Parts: sequence; structure tokens; C-alpha cells
Amino acid sequence: MLKLAIYGKGGIGKSTTTGNLAAAFAVLGKRVIQIGCDPKADSTINLLGGTPAVSVMDYMREHDEEPERLDEIAKEGFGGVLCIETGGPTPGLGCAGRGIITTFSLLEDLELFETRDPDVVLYDVLGDVVCGGFAAPIREGYAEDILIVTSGEKMALYAANNICQAVKNFEDRGYASVKGIILNRRNVENEREKVEAFAAERGLPILADIPRSDDIIRFEDEGKTVIEGGPDLPVSRIYLNLARRLLADEEGQKGQDT
Amino acid sequence: MRQVTGLTSTYSSDEFGICSALFELGGLVVMHDASGCNSTYTTHDEPRWYDMDSMVYISAVSEIEAIMGDDDKLIRDVVSAARELKPRFTALIGAPIPYMIGTDLPAVAGIVEEETGIPSIGFPANGMGLYTKGISMALAAVTERFAQGETGRSREPSMNVIGLTPLDFSLNGTAESIWRWAEALGFRRGACMAMGSSLDEISRAGEAHVNLVVSYGGLEAARILERRYGTPWIAGVPFGKAFAERLGQLVLEAAGTGGREMAAYRSVPRAGAAGRDPAPNPARDAARGKESPLLVVGESVYSASFAAAVELELNIPTRVLCPVDTEDVLLREGDRRTPEEDDLIEAFRGAERVAADPLFRQLVPETAEFFDLPHEAFSGRIYDRVNRNMVDVPLDGFIFGGTKAPRGKGPRG
Ligand SMILES: Nc1ncnc2c1ncn2[C@@H]1O[C@H](COP(=O)(O)OP(=O)(O)O)[C@@H](O)[C@H]1O
Ligand SMILES: [Mg+2]
Repeated sequence: MLKLAIYGKGGIGKSTTTGNLAAAFAVLGKRVIQIGCDPKADSTINLLGGTPAVSVMDYMREHDEEPERLDEIAKEGFGGVLCIETGGPTPGLGCAGRGIITTFSLLEDLELFETRDPDVVLYDVLGDVVCGGFAAPIREGYAEDILIVTSGEKMALYAANNICQAVKNFEDRGYASVKGIILNRRNVENEREKVEAFAAERGLPILADIPRSDDIIRFEDEGKTVIEGGPDLPVSRIYLNLARRLLADEEGQKGQDT
Repeated sequence: MRQVTGLTSTYSSDEFGICSALFELGGLVVMHDASGCNSTYTTHDEPRWYDMDSMVYISAVSEIEAIMGDDDKLIRDVVSAARELKPRFTALIGAPIPYMIGTDLPAVAGIVEEETGIPSIGFPANGMGLYTKGISMALAAVTERFAQGETGRSREPSMNVIGLTPLDFSLNGTAESIWRWAEALGFRRGACMAMGSSLDEISRAGEAHVNLVVSYGGLEAARILERRYGTPWIAGVPFGKAFAERLGQLVLEAAGTGGREMAAYRSVPRAGAAGRDPAPNPARDAARGKESPLLVVGESVYSASFAAAVELELNIPTRVLCPVDTEDVLLREGDRRTPEEDDLIEAFRGAERVAADPLFRQLVPETAEFFDLPHEAFSGRIYDRVNRNMVDVPLDGFIFGGTKAPRGKGPRG
């Protein structure tokens, strides 16, 4: 099972990247689960035609108890991708990080992985690792590899650095490690060079270079990923190639392990 | 209302269930929480505290450590204490503060183990779960970790008792009575999880021919031993003559043939079922005239065994109400889970006979007969003086001859 966590600054394009990757894996015939770990609860919206799933936190707020069935909080979207959102508390209140942990233990109780037996699990996690809860997706048993989405903007690289730092702090814990950088372009000056320098300093590869694309925005308005809307578009091919590469690496890994 | 207890008390928490289960095993046990939790445990939930040494500690996490998520201080403290005290293992127990800030105690335990070489276990408790879950987690973890050597069955038949803690059984001699019953059946004493056995004895738990599960807290550990060594388990507590005999038969069968796992009381037919006509007994027959069943409230294996004993011996119908964690395999058909106080108030409506912890008396109609079954995990030491070893108490004396303490007020409304 390929288990990936996608981290990055708020608004940088994590959900866009995750949703397109999920769709790409699905197109390649994989069984995929995408779990949005952001109080915004919009991670999977483009897999669901623009109508988001009920988030776990919203469900609990409304029912004041945990759901008993998976289908109460999970919805199948494009390509059969199972979409789940942790959601979060009312802005200004509560503890969003705790919400992520609670969601994870709930999904365990509902035997999500046993019953769905996915090939790929994607965690789309909010920006900077601001508290313990936001590191939950990289704990033992969850994601094994981390992809960091960044542009060449200073704040995006700052957030990316925080994530690398957090992962380093957890070195002795058997948590996930950073697999590489996804450059999601904002068209700032010398963008590739800046991100390359950042990556090289940390010994990380740039796994994909995604252009700023009007197609992404156009299909987003229709509640779609570009993979769904225009699978042959150049930008879609970038996502598909990234998905293939990640799968191939996993295969290679498996080969080494056995 | 859900998750509100307005008229009675609450059960002990998962944290304390873990402490209780590990108390005698020679580990360094650390609750990771603000100072104060430990005194709650030692004052109310740990009757062994003043008579027996045990390394149970609190980390006394501070506000700033919580804000900073400073696990390093916990790691340093535990590592240095472990180097000094040389425990058999360390246990790091979660509580409300680490729960809220998402401390990964299994990962922290991994680091402690790495640094000290001492087996270390992190427990994701949170102080909001029930003691039953804590006992279950603790006994399962100890079994998983320590009872794993290659071992054959002991030459003479032997039995382990699993799930025994003062939280469910107090220190009133019940443990000893269970062992005497086992010995009378011809079993040698195996390990007890976890009163009266050392960690070494527990690590040889695979030698036993059968496991007696005496509470929900012992079920998971018994399942691990079943997977690992093929040891069958039977659940039940040998209350009353007739039920103790039936339980004995099942345990002997299981030990002999490796027979099937079950809760012994599940095979006891409901009282009043056709074909059973015990010898005449005026007091019992008078009681039997009443339609309303005896409601037994408490931990599932204890209560259902007690209820089955009453049905077999006195032919009085019963129903168990279980407010704590359990599984369907540990209840009889017709028994119920009552996790909320409101469930109990509802269930007690119109009840005529109730056997429960005295603190539940508040919820029971004034017209009902009430039989005291003090439960340490619920009322702590308050009723120690009337807390009897029910394995040795004759049931008809309890039900028909029992004196009743003055009753309190019934529930409002
Ligand atoms: N490569 C891109 N080209 C054009 N627009 C993009 C691209 N990546 C992201 N966006 C847009 O940026 C906005 C924020 O992206 P989103 O994926 O929601 O960010 P995050 O999940 O990191 O908060 C979205 O409206 C999205 O359409
Ligand atoms: Mg997002």
C-alpha cells in the first residue's frame, strides 16, 4: 500500500495536487482513499463534482456521537476514490489538531483500511505543522512518505522548511520521511532555481514541476480535477507521470524488501 | 442526557485500570498528566497502595510543557528514573492533557526503550475511557510483550486466571476463593493477571491448559494466548454451588479437549425455562411468584456469573445491566449494556429487585428490594465493610436472608 502525506503552506495547492494525484492513481486502476486533514474541508471537493462530503467534525457536531458506518462520513468520487474530510471546529474555538487524531482513531474503529483494502492512501494536511495533531498523519501506521508542495515564494518555502524541521525532530520515532518536493508554480522570478536550491540543501528531489494553469481553475469551477476534465492536457500528463513514478518507486521498494 | 452522571458516581478511568492491572508486576508506571491524578488513584481505586510497594508515578506535566509539546522532559525523567530504579518494564500512560495535545506515547515509549534497553509500552489512554478498557489494554500489552517464549504445557493440568484486579474483585478474599475452587478441580495454580503473580510467572502463561477469564479486562489477553499457544478460555466467576459446578465442568472439558471458547453462563437456560423443577423451598417459591427479574448491575463477567448462579440455584429470573465496556460474547441474550445513567434509570423503572453497588440505590424505586454488591471501581472504598467475597456467600442467604441498609431517596421525577 502506498501511503502518502501531502504537506505545504495554506493555499499553495495541496488539495489541487492531492485531488489530481488521487484521480491519476484511479485512472491507472488503483483503489484510492483521500483524507483531507484541514479544517477547510475542501480537499476532495473536485473529486465530488463540487459538493463536499460531510466532514467528520461536522457529523459529530450535528449528532453529538461518532458515526457507526463508514458511509455516513465517506463518499465515493471520480474513479471510485473514497473521499473523507476531517473538517474542524468552529473557527476560533476548540482544537483542530485534536480533530485529526480523533478522526484517525474513528477510521480505525470503522476498519476503513481492512474493509476498503486500498492501493493508495493520500493525506492532504494543512500547511505548517502547527501542533501535534497535524503531525498525526505521519505517525507510525499512517503515511510512510511525505510530499511537500511549494512554490518559489518565500512564505511557501518557509512553511516547507518547517515541515522538514518537524520531520527531523521525529527522526528517532519511526515516522514518515520526506520523499521530495512538488513545485507548484506561482510564476515568481527564478522560481525553479529557488526551489532547486531549497531542495538541494536538504538533499531532496523535485518530483514534479506543475505549471500555473488556467485549465486547473477552469475545471475547478466545474467541480473537477484536470484529470477528469482534460486527461490529455499537458498538466494532466504531469500528474499522471508523478503518479506512475510514485507507484514505480513503491514497486522498487517492495522488490528490495523481499 | 448523554454522558452526564447527575445522581450517582462515575466508574474509574482507563488510566487507573492500567495502573491497577500493572501494579504488582514490577514496572515503572508513569501517568503522563498534571499532578493530582495519582492521589485520586491511590486514595480511591488502589486498596493495595499502603501495603505493597509499586512504582506508580505521575509525570506532573506543566502548562508550558503542554503548550510546547515538550516530550523531551518526559523522556529524560523516565529514562533517569528507569536507570535508577531498574524496573522490569516502563509503562507510559496517556491522560487528558497528552490526549488533547496529541502526544504519541507509543513513539515516546519506543525512544525510552531505545535509550534504556528496558521494554517500554505506551498506552493511548485518555482518562475519559473506562477502567475496563484500561485493564484490557494493559493485560493485552503485557501478554503480547512478555508471554511469548516457546513453552509446552505443564505436566499437571494448570489454569491461569485472567482479568483479576481489585477494581472488580476488591481485597475481600475472592481471588483466593477462585484459586481454591480451581485447585479442588485438580488444577495447579498458573499465572494470575494480575494479582499475586510475578511478571516471570505471567511470561510462562503459555504453559497453562486453560484460561479462566474473570472480567472483560481479561478477554483480549486470553485471545492472544489462544492465538499464540492454542490455550482455550472460559469466562466466568464460580459463584454459587450450581454455577461453580457448571463452570468447573466447562473448564475441565476445555482443558482436556481444547474445547470451545465461551462465557460459561451463556449456556445456562433462563430461569423458568421448561424442564427444571428444583426441590421445594418456600422462600424461593414465594420469590419466584414475582414476575419481575432481579436486575444485576456491574461488570459483565462478574454480574452475568452472579445472575446465572442465582437462576440456577434459586430459579429467580435475572437480567444483567452492564454500564462498562464489554462484548456480546460476554453477555447472555436478554442482558443489556447501559452506558448512560439515563439507561439505568429507564431500566430500573418498575424494578422490584436490584443487586448493585450501593451508590446506585439513588436510581432505584423505593419499593424495590435492594441487594448491596459493592464495586470498588464504582464506589472506591466507601463500602469496604459490607464488600463481601461473594464466591463464599451462600446465595439463598444473600437473596432471602440479607439485611437491607436504610435506603436513600429515589430518583427525582
Ligand atoms: N497549478 C495551479 N495553477 C492554477 N491554479 C492553481 C494551481 N494550483 C492551485 N491553484 C489554485 O489555488 C487555489 C488554492 O489551491 P488549493 O489546492 O485549495 O490549496 P491548499 O489546499 O494548499 O490550501 C485553488 O483555487 C486552485 O485552483
Ligand atoms: Mg486544501
